[in-house]
Amino acid sequence: MTTAATSPPGFRDALAFEWTKFTGLRSTVWTTAAIALVTVTGAVFVGLTDSLQPDDTVLGGSLTLSVVALMTAGVAGALAVCGEYSSGTITATLAAVPRRGRVLAAKTALMAAMLYGIGLVSCTVAYLLGSAVLDGTHPQGDPLPALFGIAALFSVVGALGVAVGTFVRHPAGAVTAVIAVLLLPSVFGPLLGDLQRWVAGATPTAALEKLTQTSDARPETVGSLGAWPSLALVAGYTALALAGAAVVLRRRDA
Amino acid sequence: MFRACVLRSVENMIEARELTKRYGGRTAVDALSFTVRPGLVTGFLGPNGAGKSTTMRLVLGLDTPTAGSVTVAGRRYDELDAPLREVGALLDARAVHPGRTVRRHLLGLARSHAIPARRVDEVLGAVGLETAADRRAKGLSLGMAQRLGVAAALIGDPGVLILDEPVNGLDTEGIRWMRTLLKSLAAEGRTVFLSSHLMSELELTADRVVVIGRGRLLAETDMRDFIDANSPDSTLLRVPDDESGRMRALLESRGAGVRPDAGGGWRVTGPTATVIGELAREHGLAVHELTPCRSSLEDIYTAMTGEAVEYRGSTDTDDKEVPR
Repeated sequence: MTTAATSPPGFRDALAFEWTKFTGLRSTVWTTAAIALVTVTGAVFVGLTDSLQPDDTVLGGSLTLSVVALMTAGVAGALAVCGEYSSGTITATLAAVPRRGRVLAAKTALMAAMLYGIGLVSCTVAYLLGSAVLDGTHPQGDPLPALFGIAALFSVVGALGVAVGTFVRHPAGAVTAVIAVLLLPSVFGPLLGDLQRWVAGATPTAALEKLTQTSDARPETVGSLGAWPSLALVAGYTALALAGAAVVLRRRDA
Repeated sequence: MFRACVLRSVENMIEARELTKRYGGRTAVDALSFTVRPGLVTGFLGPNGAGKSTTMRLVLGLDTPTAGSVTVAGRRYDELDAPLREVGALLDARAVHPGRTVRRHLLGLARSHAIPARRVDEVLGAVGLETAADRRAKGLSLGMAQRLGVAAALIGDPGVLILDEPVNGLDTEGIRWMRTLLKSLAAEGRTVFLSSHLMSELELTADRVVVIGRGRLLAETDMRDFIDANSPDSTLLRVPDDESGRMRALLESRGAGVRPDAGGGWRVTGPTATVIGELAREHGLAVHELTPCRSSLEDIYTAMTGEAVEYRGSTDTDDKEVPR
Protein backbone atom coordinates (compact mmCIF):
# COMPACT_ATOMS: atom_id res chain seq x y z
CA MET A 1 0.00 0.00 0.00
CA THR A 2 2.72 2.43 0.98
CA THR A 3 5.06 1.49 -1.83
CA ALA A 4 2.77 1.29 -4.79
CA ALA A 5 5.69 1.91 -7.13
CA THR A 6 7.28 -1.51 -6.61
CA SER A 7 5.97 -4.43 -8.57
CA PRO A 8 4.41 -7.36 -6.71
CA PRO A 9 6.90 -9.98 -5.52
CA GLY A 10 7.25 -13.01 -7.77
CA PHE A 11 9.08 -16.29 -8.10
CA ARG A 12 12.54 -14.71 -7.99
CA ASP A 13 11.74 -13.14 -4.62
CA ALA A 14 10.41 -16.43 -3.30
CA LEU A 15 13.66 -18.06 -4.44
CA ALA A 16 15.74 -15.35 -2.73
CA PHE A 17 13.67 -15.95 0.43
CA GLU A 18 14.44 -19.68 0.31
CA TRP A 19 18.13 -19.05 -0.39
CA THR A 20 18.39 -16.69 2.59
CA LYS A 21 16.71 -19.21 4.86
CA PHE A 22 18.85 -22.08 3.57
CA THR A 23 22.21 -20.35 3.89
CA GLY A 24 21.34 -18.95 7.31
CA LEU A 25 21.48 -22.35 8.99
CA ARG A 26 24.53 -24.30 10.00
CA SER A 27 22.64 -27.58 9.72
CA THR A 28 21.73 -27.21 6.05
CA VAL A 29 25.14 -25.84 5.13
CA TRP A 30 26.89 -28.78 6.81
CA THR A 31 24.51 -31.32 5.31
CA THR A 32 25.35 -29.90 1.91
CA ALA A 33 29.05 -30.02 2.62
CA ALA A 34 28.70 -33.64 3.71
CA ILE A 35 27.11 -34.53 0.37
CA ALA A 36 30.19 -33.22 -1.39
CA LEU A 37 32.75 -34.69 0.97
CA VAL A 38 31.40 -38.20 1.29
CA THR A 39 31.85 -39.10 -2.39
CA VAL A 40 35.33 -37.62 -2.59
CA THR A 41 36.42 -39.35 0.61
CA GLY A 42 35.04 -42.62 -0.74
CA ALA A 43 37.08 -42.31 -3.94
CA VAL A 44 40.30 -41.75 -2.01
CA PHE A 45 39.54 -44.65 0.31
CA VAL A 46 38.66 -47.09 -2.49
CA GLY A 47 41.65 -45.93 -4.49
CA LEU A 48 44.19 -46.31 -1.69
CA THR A 49 42.91 -49.71 -0.60
CA ASP A 50 42.31 -50.83 -4.19
CA SER A 51 39.08 -52.40 -2.97
CA LEU A 52 37.34 -52.81 -6.31
CA GLN A 53 35.67 -55.83 -7.79
CA PRO A 54 37.92 -57.21 -10.55
CA ASP A 55 35.36 -56.28 -13.19
CA ASP A 56 34.57 -52.84 -11.74
CA THR A 57 35.30 -49.64 -13.61
CA VAL A 58 37.39 -46.78 -12.28
CA LEU A 59 34.32 -44.55 -12.55
CA GLY A 60 32.13 -46.98 -10.60
CA GLY A 61 34.80 -47.61 -7.97
CA SER A 62 35.54 -43.93 -7.47
CA LEU A 63 31.86 -43.21 -6.95
CA THR A 64 31.28 -46.07 -4.50
CA LEU A 65 30.02 -43.73 -1.78
CA SER A 66 27.96 -41.59 -4.15
CA VAL A 67 24.94 -43.68 -3.09
CA VAL A 68 25.37 -42.34 0.45
CA ALA A 69 25.69 -38.82 -0.93
CA LEU A 70 22.54 -39.41 -2.97
CA MET A 71 20.60 -40.42 0.13
CA THR A 72 21.87 -37.34 1.94
CA ALA A 73 20.68 -35.25 -0.99
CA GLY A 74 17.19 -36.70 -0.59
CA VAL A 75 17.31 -36.06 3.14
CA ALA A 76 18.44 -32.47 2.55
CA GLY A 77 15.47 -31.94 0.24
CA ALA A 78 13.06 -33.33 2.81
CA LEU A 79 14.53 -31.25 5.63
CA ALA A 80 14.22 -28.09 3.55
CA VAL A 81 10.47 -28.53 4.02
CA CYS A 82 10.25 -30.36 7.36
CA GLY A 83 12.54 -27.87 9.11
CA GLU A 84 9.85 -25.27 8.47
CA TYR A 85 7.17 -27.42 10.06
CA SER A 86 9.21 -28.44 13.10
CA SER A 87 10.34 -24.88 13.85
CA GLY A 88 6.95 -23.35 13.05
CA THR A 89 8.34 -20.98 10.42
CA ILE A 90 5.95 -22.49 7.87
CA THR A 91 3.32 -19.98 8.98
CA ALA A 92 5.69 -17.06 8.37
CA THR A 93 6.70 -18.54 5.01
CA LEU A 94 3.13 -19.07 3.83
CA ALA A 95 2.07 -15.66 5.13
CA ALA A 96 4.88 -14.08 3.12
CA VAL A 97 4.17 -16.19 0.03
CA PRO A 98 0.50 -17.21 0.14
CA ARG A 99 0.74 -18.79 -3.30
CA ARG A 100 1.80 -22.13 -1.97
CA GLY A 101 2.70 -23.70 -5.29
CA ARG A 102 5.29 -20.94 -5.60
CA VAL A 103 6.80 -21.85 -2.22
CA LEU A 104 7.14 -25.46 -3.30
CA ALA A 105 8.56 -24.48 -6.70
CA ALA A 106 11.12 -22.17 -5.08
CA LYS A 107 12.27 -24.83 -2.63
CA THR A 108 12.50 -27.42 -5.39
CA ALA A 109 14.41 -25.10 -7.71
CA LEU A 110 16.87 -24.16 -4.98
CA MET A 111 17.56 -27.74 -3.93
CA ALA A 112 17.76 -29.01 -7.51
CA ALA A 113 20.14 -26.29 -8.68
CA MET A 114 22.37 -26.60 -5.65
CA LEU A 115 22.51 -30.38 -5.73
CA TYR A 116 23.27 -30.39 -9.44
CA GLY A 117 26.34 -28.25 -8.82
CA ILE A 118 27.43 -30.20 -5.77
CA GLY A 119 26.86 -33.54 -7.49
CA LEU A 120 28.73 -32.54 -10.60
CA VAL A 121 31.75 -31.08 -8.83
CA SER A 122 32.08 -33.71 -6.12
CA CYS A 123 31.65 -36.69 -8.48
CA THR A 124 34.06 -35.22 -11.02
CA VAL A 125 36.66 -34.60 -8.32
CA ALA A 126 36.07 -38.11 -6.95
CA TYR A 127 36.55 -39.62 -10.41
CA LEU A 128 39.73 -37.67 -11.06
CA LEU A 129 41.15 -38.62 -7.65
CA GLY A 130 40.15 -42.24 -8.17
CA SER A 131 41.82 -42.32 -11.59
CA ALA A 132 44.97 -40.81 -10.16
CA VAL A 133 45.23 -43.22 -7.25
CA LEU A 134 44.10 -46.50 -8.84
CA ASP A 135 46.55 -48.54 -10.87
CA GLY A 136 45.71 -49.21 -14.49
CA THR A 137 44.29 -52.73 -14.13
CA HIS A 138 40.64 -51.67 -14.22
CA PRO A 139 38.64 -50.47 -17.21
CA GLN A 140 38.15 -46.74 -17.06
CA GLY A 141 34.40 -46.51 -17.74
CA ASP A 142 32.83 -43.62 -19.66
CA PRO A 143 32.74 -40.53 -17.42
CA LEU A 144 31.05 -38.39 -20.06
CA PRO A 145 28.21 -37.74 -20.27
CA ALA A 146 27.54 -40.01 -17.27
CA LEU A 147 28.76 -37.41 -14.74
CA PHE A 148 26.14 -34.96 -15.97
CA GLY A 149 23.51 -37.64 -15.57
CA ILE A 150 24.70 -38.35 -12.03
CA ALA A 151 24.52 -34.65 -11.19
CA ALA A 152 21.01 -34.53 -12.62
CA LEU A 153 20.10 -37.53 -10.48
CA PHE A 154 21.23 -35.65 -7.36
CA SER A 155 18.88 -32.81 -8.40
CA VAL A 156 16.00 -35.17 -8.98
CA VAL A 157 16.48 -36.98 -5.67
CA GLY A 158 16.67 -33.65 -3.84
CA ALA A 159 13.37 -32.71 -5.48
CA LEU A 160 11.89 -36.08 -4.53
CA GLY A 161 12.97 -35.31 -0.94
CA VAL A 162 11.12 -31.98 -1.12
CA ALA A 163 7.97 -33.80 -2.22
CA VAL A 164 8.27 -36.46 0.49
CA GLY A 165 8.98 -33.76 3.10
CA THR A 166 5.82 -31.93 2.04
CA PHE A 167 3.70 -35.06 2.34
CA VAL A 168 5.14 -36.23 5.66
CA ARG A 169 5.97 -32.86 7.37
CA HIS A 170 7.67 -34.45 10.40
CA PRO A 171 11.46 -34.52 10.00
CA ALA A 172 12.05 -37.99 11.44
CA GLY A 173 9.25 -39.51 9.40
CA ALA A 174 10.37 -37.80 6.22
CA VAL A 175 14.00 -38.86 6.62
CA THR A 176 12.88 -42.44 7.21
CA ALA A 177 10.62 -42.29 4.17
CA VAL A 178 13.36 -40.93 1.92
CA ILE A 179 15.85 -43.57 3.02
CA ALA A 180 13.23 -46.27 2.67
CA VAL A 181 12.47 -45.25 -0.90
CA LEU A 182 16.16 -45.30 -1.79
CA LEU A 183 17.31 -48.31 0.17
CA LEU A 184 14.53 -50.79 0.83
CA PRO A 185 13.87 -51.94 -2.76
CA SER A 186 17.45 -53.19 -3.08
CA VAL A 187 17.51 -54.68 0.43
CA PHE A 188 14.23 -56.53 0.09
CA GLY A 189 14.53 -56.97 -3.67
CA PRO A 190 15.56 -60.63 -3.46
CA LEU A 191 12.30 -61.40 -1.64
CA LEU A 192 10.31 -60.19 -4.62
CA GLY A 193 11.54 -62.84 -7.03
CA ASP A 194 10.97 -61.83 -10.63
CA LEU A 195 9.51 -58.49 -9.54
CA GLN A 196 12.87 -57.44 -8.13
CA ARG A 197 14.10 -56.21 -11.49
CA TRP A 198 11.09 -53.95 -11.77
CA VAL A 199 10.88 -52.63 -8.23
CA ALA A 200 14.57 -52.30 -7.42
CA GLY A 201 15.29 -51.27 -10.99
CA ALA A 202 13.00 -48.26 -10.76
CA THR A 203 14.72 -46.72 -7.72
CA PRO A 204 17.07 -43.74 -7.84
CA THR A 205 19.75 -46.05 -6.45
CA ALA A 206 19.45 -48.32 -9.47
CA ALA A 207 19.70 -45.33 -11.79
CA LEU A 208 22.86 -44.27 -9.96
CA GLU A 209 24.42 -47.73 -10.24
CA LYS A 210 23.74 -47.75 -13.96
CA LEU A 211 25.08 -44.25 -14.48
CA THR A 212 28.27 -44.98 -12.53
CA GLN A 213 28.68 -48.20 -14.50
CA THR A 214 29.47 -50.18 -11.39
CA SER A 215 29.60 -53.96 -11.51
CA ASP A 216 26.69 -53.99 -9.02
CA ALA A 217 24.33 -52.88 -11.78
CA ARG A 218 23.46 -56.38 -13.00
CA PRO A 219 20.28 -56.83 -15.03
CA GLU A 220 18.99 -59.54 -12.69
CA THR A 221 18.94 -57.07 -9.75
CA VAL A 222 18.22 -53.70 -11.29
CA GLY A 223 16.51 -54.61 -14.54
CA SER A 224 17.67 -54.16 -18.10
CA LEU A 225 16.48 -50.58 -18.50
CA GLY A 226 19.40 -48.42 -19.60
CA ALA A 227 21.03 -45.71 -17.48
CA TRP A 228 19.35 -42.75 -19.17
CA PRO A 229 15.87 -44.22 -19.38
CA SER A 230 16.23 -45.08 -15.66
CA LEU A 231 17.08 -41.46 -14.92
CA ALA A 232 14.08 -40.34 -16.97
CA LEU A 233 11.85 -42.77 -15.07
CA VAL A 234 12.99 -41.40 -11.69
CA ALA A 235 12.53 -37.84 -12.95
CA GLY A 236 9.06 -38.77 -14.17
CA TYR A 237 7.74 -40.07 -10.88
CA THR A 238 9.46 -37.27 -9.00
CA ALA A 239 7.51 -34.79 -11.14
CA LEU A 240 4.30 -36.64 -10.28
CA ALA A 241 5.19 -36.63 -6.58
CA LEU A 242 5.83 -32.88 -6.72
CA ALA A 243 2.51 -32.27 -8.42
CA GLY A 244 0.80 -34.28 -5.67
CA ALA A 245 2.74 -32.36 -3.02
CA ALA A 246 1.57 -29.07 -4.53
CA VAL A 247 -2.05 -30.18 -4.35
CA VAL A 248 -1.66 -31.35 -0.74
CA LEU A 249 0.14 -28.18 0.31
CA ARG A 250 -2.59 -26.00 -1.20
CA ARG A 251 -5.47 -27.92 0.32
CA ARG A 252 -4.10 -28.52 3.77
CA ASP A 253 -4.30 -26.09 6.67
CA ALA A 254 -0.80 -24.86 7.40
CA MET B 1 11.23 5.28 12.95
CA PHE B 2 8.51 4.64 10.43
CA ARG B 3 7.75 6.09 7.11
CA ALA B 4 5.77 9.30 6.95
CA CYS B 5 2.33 9.01 8.41
CA VAL B 6 -0.13 8.14 5.72
CA LEU B 7 -3.69 8.28 6.82
CA ARG B 8 -4.75 4.91 5.60
CA SER B 9 -8.28 4.66 4.34
CA VAL B 10 -10.99 2.14 5.01
CA GLU B 11 -9.35 -0.16 2.52
CA ASN B 12 -7.25 -1.49 5.37
CA MET B 13 -10.23 -2.93 7.20
CA ILE B 14 -10.38 -6.54 8.27
CA GLU B 15 -13.88 -7.87 7.63
CA ALA B 16 -15.12 -11.25 8.78
CA ARG B 17 -18.48 -12.39 7.44
CA GLU B 18 -20.13 -15.45 8.96
CA LEU B 19 -16.63 -16.87 9.35
CA THR B 20 -16.78 -20.51 10.41
CA LYS B 21 -14.11 -23.11 11.00
CA ARG B 22 -14.70 -26.70 12.05
CA TYR B 23 -11.99 -29.20 12.80
CA GLY B 24 -13.65 -32.57 12.54
CA GLY B 25 -16.72 -32.21 14.75
CA ARG B 26 -15.35 -29.35 16.82
CA THR B 27 -16.45 -25.84 15.90
CA ALA B 28 -13.57 -23.47 16.61
CA VAL B 29 -15.09 -20.39 14.98
CA ASP B 30 -18.83 -20.14 14.63
CA ALA B 31 -20.47 -17.72 12.16
CA LEU B 32 -18.25 -14.88 13.35
CA SER B 33 -18.81 -11.45 11.80
CA PHE B 34 -16.85 -8.37 12.79
CA THR B 35 -14.99 -5.42 11.31
CA VAL B 36 -11.62 -4.09 12.42
CA ARG B 37 -11.12 -0.49 11.41
CA PRO B 38 -8.02 1.56 10.64
CA GLY B 39 -6.62 4.20 12.95
CA LEU B 40 -7.62 2.31 16.08
CA VAL B 41 -6.26 -0.39 18.30
CA THR B 42 -8.84 -3.18 18.36
CA GLY B 43 -8.58 -5.73 21.13
CA PHE B 44 -9.62 -9.32 20.52
CA LEU B 45 -10.80 -10.88 23.74
CA GLY B 46 -11.86 -14.34 24.68
CA PRO B 47 -10.90 -17.12 27.05
CA ASN B 48 -8.43 -19.79 26.04
CA GLY B 49 -9.88 -21.95 23.29
CA ALA B 50 -12.40 -19.27 22.27
CA GLY B 51 -11.07 -19.28 18.71
CA LYS B 52 -8.91 -16.13 18.71
CA SER B 53 -5.83 -17.76 17.21
CA THR B 54 -7.89 -19.74 14.74
CA THR B 55 -9.61 -16.55 13.60
CA MET B 56 -6.23 -14.90 13.06
CA ARG B 57 -5.00 -17.92 11.09
CA LEU B 58 -8.11 -17.65 8.92
CA VAL B 59 -7.43 -13.95 8.29
CA LEU B 60 -3.91 -14.85 7.12
CA GLY B 61 -5.10 -17.65 4.86
CA LEU B 62 -3.13 -20.25 6.82
CA ASP B 63 -6.30 -22.24 7.43
CA THR B 64 -9.24 -22.34 5.04
CA PRO B 65 -12.67 -21.39 6.42
CA THR B 66 -15.32 -24.11 6.46
CA ALA B 67 -17.86 -21.41 5.61
CA GLY B 68 -18.02 -17.64 5.40
CA SER B 69 -15.13 -15.37 4.50
CA VAL B 70 -12.64 -12.92 5.85
CA THR B 71 -10.98 -10.17 3.85
CA VAL B 72 -8.24 -7.64 4.37
CA ALA B 73 -8.57 -4.44 2.38
CA GLY B 74 -11.48 -6.04 0.57
CA ARG B 75 -9.54 -9.05 -0.64
CA ARG B 76 -8.80 -12.54 0.58
CA TYR B 77 -5.29 -12.72 2.01
CA ASP B 78 -4.02 -15.04 -0.72
CA GLU B 79 -5.20 -12.54 -3.32
CA LEU B 80 -3.00 -9.75 -1.97
CA ASP B 81 -0.23 -8.80 -4.39
CA ALA B 82 2.39 -8.11 -1.75
CA PRO B 83 1.00 -9.47 1.53
CA LEU B 84 3.82 -8.34 3.82
CA ARG B 85 3.46 -4.77 2.58
CA GLU B 86 -0.21 -4.84 3.52
CA VAL B 87 -0.43 -7.11 6.56
CA GLY B 88 2.10 -7.78 9.29
CA ALA B 89 1.40 -10.62 11.66
CA LEU B 90 2.78 -12.05 14.86
CA LEU B 91 1.14 -15.36 15.67
CA ASP B 92 3.75 -17.28 17.63
CA ALA B 93 6.92 -15.57 18.77
CA ARG B 94 8.68 -18.92 19.11
CA ALA B 95 8.06 -19.83 15.46
CA VAL B 96 11.57 -18.90 14.38
CA HIS B 97 14.10 -21.55 13.40
CA PRO B 98 16.30 -21.92 16.51
CA GLY B 99 19.50 -22.03 14.48
CA ARG B 100 18.82 -18.87 12.49
CA THR B 101 20.02 -15.45 13.59
CA VAL B 102 17.63 -12.59 14.25
CA ARG B 103 18.98 -10.69 11.25
CA ARG B 104 18.72 -13.68 8.89
CA HIS B 105 15.14 -14.34 9.88
CA LEU B 106 14.18 -10.77 9.07
CA LEU B 107 16.36 -10.65 5.96
CA GLY B 108 14.58 -13.70 4.53
CA LEU B 109 11.20 -12.06 5.00
CA ALA B 110 12.52 -8.85 3.46
CA ARG B 111 13.88 -10.71 0.41
CA SER B 112 10.50 -12.37 -0.14
CA HIS B 113 9.16 -8.92 -1.02
CA ALA B 114 12.29 -7.30 -2.48
CA ILE B 115 12.47 -5.06 0.58
CA PRO B 116 15.93 -3.48 0.92
CA ALA B 117 18.17 -4.94 3.63
CA ARG B 118 18.40 -1.60 5.43
CA ARG B 119 14.77 -2.03 6.42
CA VAL B 120 15.96 -4.93 8.61
CA ASP B 121 18.09 -2.50 10.62
CA GLU B 122 15.19 -0.06 10.80
CA VAL B 123 12.81 -2.59 12.32
CA LEU B 124 15.52 -3.93 14.63
CA GLY B 125 15.93 -0.39 15.88
CA ALA B 126 12.18 0.06 16.22
CA VAL B 127 11.92 -2.91 18.58
CA GLY B 128 15.21 -2.36 20.37
CA LEU B 129 16.95 -5.52 19.18
CA GLU B 130 19.98 -3.94 17.44
CA THR B 131 22.43 -5.55 19.81
CA ALA B 132 20.84 -8.99 19.42
CA ALA B 133 20.87 -8.96 15.60
CA ASP B 134 23.48 -11.70 15.28
CA ARG B 135 22.17 -13.95 18.02
CA ARG B 136 20.54 -17.23 17.08
CA ALA B 137 16.87 -17.49 17.87
CA LYS B 138 17.33 -20.32 20.38
CA GLY B 139 19.20 -17.92 22.69
CA LEU B 140 16.40 -15.36 22.85
CA SER B 141 14.23 -14.83 25.90
CA LEU B 142 10.48 -14.91 25.29
CA GLY B 143 10.41 -11.14 25.61
CA MET B 144 13.12 -10.77 22.94
CA ALA B 145 11.33 -13.30 20.74
CA GLN B 146 8.18 -11.18 21.01
CA ARG B 147 10.15 -8.11 19.94
CA LEU B 148 11.54 -10.08 17.00
CA GLY B 149 8.00 -11.10 16.11
CA VAL B 150 6.93 -7.45 16.11
CA ALA B 151 9.96 -6.55 13.98
CA ALA B 152 8.96 -9.27 11.50
CA ALA B 153 5.41 -7.92 11.41
CA LEU B 154 6.71 -4.42 10.65
CA ILE B 155 9.18 -5.46 7.94
CA GLY B 156 6.91 -4.50 5.04
CA ASP B 157 5.65 -1.29 6.71
CA PRO B 158 2.12 -2.72 6.49
CA GLY B 159 -1.16 -0.89 6.99
CA VAL B 160 -2.63 -3.76 8.98
CA LEU B 161 -1.08 -5.44 12.02
CA ILE B 162 -2.38 -8.68 13.49
CA LEU B 163 -0.80 -9.68 16.78
CA ASP B 164 -1.62 -12.74 18.85
CA GLU B 165 -0.78 -12.14 22.53
CA PRO B 166 2.09 -9.73 21.77
CA VAL B 167 2.74 -8.75 25.39
CA ASN B 168 3.09 -12.34 26.50
CA GLY B 169 6.52 -12.70 28.10
CA LEU B 170 7.31 -9.01 28.19
CA ASP B 171 8.38 -7.35 31.43
CA THR B 172 6.69 -4.21 32.74
CA GLU B 173 8.93 -1.94 30.73
CA GLY B 174 8.32 -4.09 27.64
CA ILE B 175 4.57 -3.96 28.12
CA ARG B 176 4.67 -0.19 28.37
CA TRP B 177 6.82 -0.04 25.25
CA MET B 178 4.41 -2.30 23.36
CA ARG B 179 1.41 -0.22 24.42
CA THR B 180 3.06 2.98 23.21
CA LEU B 181 4.15 1.36 19.96
CA LEU B 182 0.71 -0.05 19.14
CA LYS B 183 -0.98 3.24 19.90
CA SER B 184 1.46 5.16 17.72
CA LEU B 185 1.00 2.66 14.88
CA ALA B 186 -2.76 3.15 15.10
CA ALA B 187 -2.29 6.92 15.27
CA GLU B 188 -0.45 6.69 11.95
CA GLY B 189 -3.68 5.35 10.49
CA ARG B 190 -2.85 1.68 10.61
CA THR B 191 -5.26 -1.05 11.59
CA VAL B 192 -4.06 -2.75 14.76
CA PHE B 193 -5.77 -5.96 15.82
CA LEU B 194 -4.41 -7.70 18.88
CA SER B 195 -5.54 -10.49 21.09
CA SER B 196 -4.61 -10.68 24.71
CA HIS B 197 -5.54 -12.56 27.81
CA LEU B 198 -4.26 -9.63 29.86
CA MET B 199 -7.55 -7.78 29.96
CA SER B 200 -6.18 -5.00 32.10
CA GLU B 201 -3.63 -4.42 29.36
CA LEU B 202 -6.27 -4.23 26.63
CA GLU B 203 -8.26 -1.81 28.73
CA LEU B 204 -5.30 0.55 28.58
CA THR B 205 -4.39 -0.06 24.95
CA ALA B 206 -7.45 -0.81 22.89
CA ASP B 207 -9.97 1.70 21.53
CA ARG B 208 -12.35 -0.97 20.38
CA VAL B 209 -12.97 -4.52 21.42
CA VAL B 210 -14.21 -7.68 19.77
CA VAL B 211 -15.19 -10.26 22.38
CA ILE B 212 -15.71 -13.91 21.50
CA GLY B 213 -16.57 -17.00 23.51
CA ARG B 214 -16.64 -20.53 22.13
CA GLY B 215 -16.10 -19.18 18.63
CA ARG B 216 -19.10 -16.85 18.74
CA LEU B 217 -19.23 -13.09 18.81
CA LEU B 218 -20.25 -11.73 22.21
CA ALA B 219 -19.61 -8.04 21.68
CA GLU B 220 -18.08 -5.65 19.19
CA THR B 221 -17.97 -2.10 20.43
CA ASP B 222 -15.91 0.84 21.64
CA MET B 223 -13.94 -0.07 24.71
CA ARG B 224 -15.45 2.79 26.74
CA ASP B 225 -19.00 1.92 25.70
CA PHE B 226 -18.31 -1.70 26.40
CA ILE B 227 -17.30 -0.99 29.96
CA ASP B 228 -20.08 1.57 30.49
CA ALA B 229 -22.79 -0.68 29.11
CA ASN B 230 -21.69 -3.70 31.04
CA SER B 231 -20.66 -2.27 34.36
CA PRO B 232 -23.17 -1.37 36.99
CA ASP B 233 -21.28 1.55 38.51
CA SER B 234 -20.58 1.22 42.15
CA THR B 235 -19.25 3.57 44.80
CA LEU B 236 -16.77 2.80 47.52
CA LEU B 237 -17.98 4.31 50.78
CA ARG B 238 -16.19 4.57 54.09
CA VAL B 239 -17.92 5.91 57.17
CA PRO B 240 -17.02 5.92 60.89
CA ASP B 241 -17.49 2.45 62.41
CA ASP B 242 -20.15 3.57 64.91
CA GLU B 243 -22.29 5.04 62.11
CA SER B 244 -21.88 2.30 59.52
CA GLY B 245 -25.00 0.36 60.55
CA ARG B 246 -27.19 3.48 60.25
CA MET B 247 -25.65 4.40 56.90
CA ARG B 248 -26.28 0.97 55.52
CA ALA B 249 -29.89 0.89 56.66
CA LEU B 250 -30.43 4.33 55.17
CA LEU B 251 -29.00 3.34 51.80
CA GLU B 252 -30.89 0.09 51.65
CA SER B 253 -34.16 1.93 52.44
CA ARG B 254 -33.52 3.92 49.22
CA GLY B 255 -33.11 0.71 47.20
CA ALA B 256 -29.32 0.72 47.01
CA GLY B 257 -27.28 -2.47 46.99
CA VAL B 258 -24.77 -2.49 49.84
CA ARG B 259 -22.13 -5.14 50.41
CA PRO B 260 -18.86 -5.08 52.29
CA ASP B 261 -15.81 -4.34 50.10
CA ALA B 262 -12.79 -6.60 50.34
CA GLY B 263 -10.63 -3.59 51.19
CA GLY B 264 -12.91 -2.38 54.00
CA GLY B 265 -15.95 -0.09 53.82
CA TRP B 266 -19.11 -0.59 51.74
CA ARG B 267 -19.50 -1.20 48.05
CA VAL B 268 -22.71 0.63 47.06
CA THR B 269 -24.57 0.05 43.80
CA GLY B 270 -27.54 2.09 42.62
CA PRO B 271 -27.25 5.72 43.69
CA THR B 272 -24.35 7.77 42.39
CA ALA B 273 -21.66 9.19 44.66
CA THR B 274 -23.40 12.57 44.49
CA VAL B 275 -26.69 11.12 45.72
CA ILE B 276 -24.95 9.24 48.53
CA GLY B 277 -23.07 12.36 49.63
CA GLU B 278 -26.25 14.44 49.69
CA LEU B 279 -28.03 11.74 51.63
CA ALA B 280 -25.26 11.59 54.25
CA ARG B 281 -25.39 15.36 54.73
CA GLU B 282 -29.20 15.39 55.11
CA HIS B 283 -28.90 12.85 57.92
CA GLY B 284 -25.85 14.36 59.54
CA LEU B 285 -23.60 11.38 58.88
CA ALA B 286 -19.83 11.67 58.41
CA VAL B 287 -18.21 10.33 55.25
CA HIS B 288 -14.51 9.39 55.24
CA GLU B 289 -14.29 8.24 51.66
CA LEU B 290 -16.64 8.36 48.67
CA THR B 291 -15.08 6.96 45.47
CA PRO B 292 -16.96 6.22 42.22
CA CYS B 293 -15.71 2.89 40.76
CA ARG B 294 -16.14 1.30 37.39
CA SER B 295 -16.03 -2.42 36.95
CA SER B 296 -12.80 -3.45 35.34
CA LEU B 297 -12.87 -5.01 31.92
CA GLU B 298 -11.76 -8.18 33.61
CA ASP B 299 -14.94 -8.33 35.71
CA ILE B 300 -17.17 -7.79 32.70
CA TYR B 301 -15.28 -10.19 30.57
CA THR B 302 -15.35 -12.92 33.16
CA ALA B 303 -19.08 -12.48 33.56
CA MET B 304 -19.70 -12.49 29.79
CA THR B 305 -17.52 -15.38 28.82
CA GLY B 306 -18.73 -17.38 31.78
CA GLU B 307 -22.27 -17.03 30.44
CA ALA B 308 -21.07 -17.92 26.97
CA VAL B 309 -19.54 -21.13 28.18
CA GLU B 310 -22.75 -22.10 29.94
CA TYR B 311 -24.85 -21.16 26.96
CA ARG B 312 -22.71 -23.07 24.54
CA GLY B 313 -22.48 -26.00 26.86
CA SER B 314 -26.14 -26.76 26.33
CA THR B 315 -26.04 -26.52 22.53
CA ASP B 316 -22.93 -28.54 21.82
CA THR B 317 -25.05 -31.33 20.42
CA ASP B 318 -25.90 -29.05 17.49
CA ASP B 319 -22.40 -29.43 16.13
CA LYS B 320 -22.58 -31.58 13.08
CA GLU B 321 -19.64 -33.13 11.40
CA VAL B 322 -19.05 -31.37 8.14
CA PRO B 323 -16.56 -32.87 5.70
CA ARG B 324 -13.75 -30.51 4.96
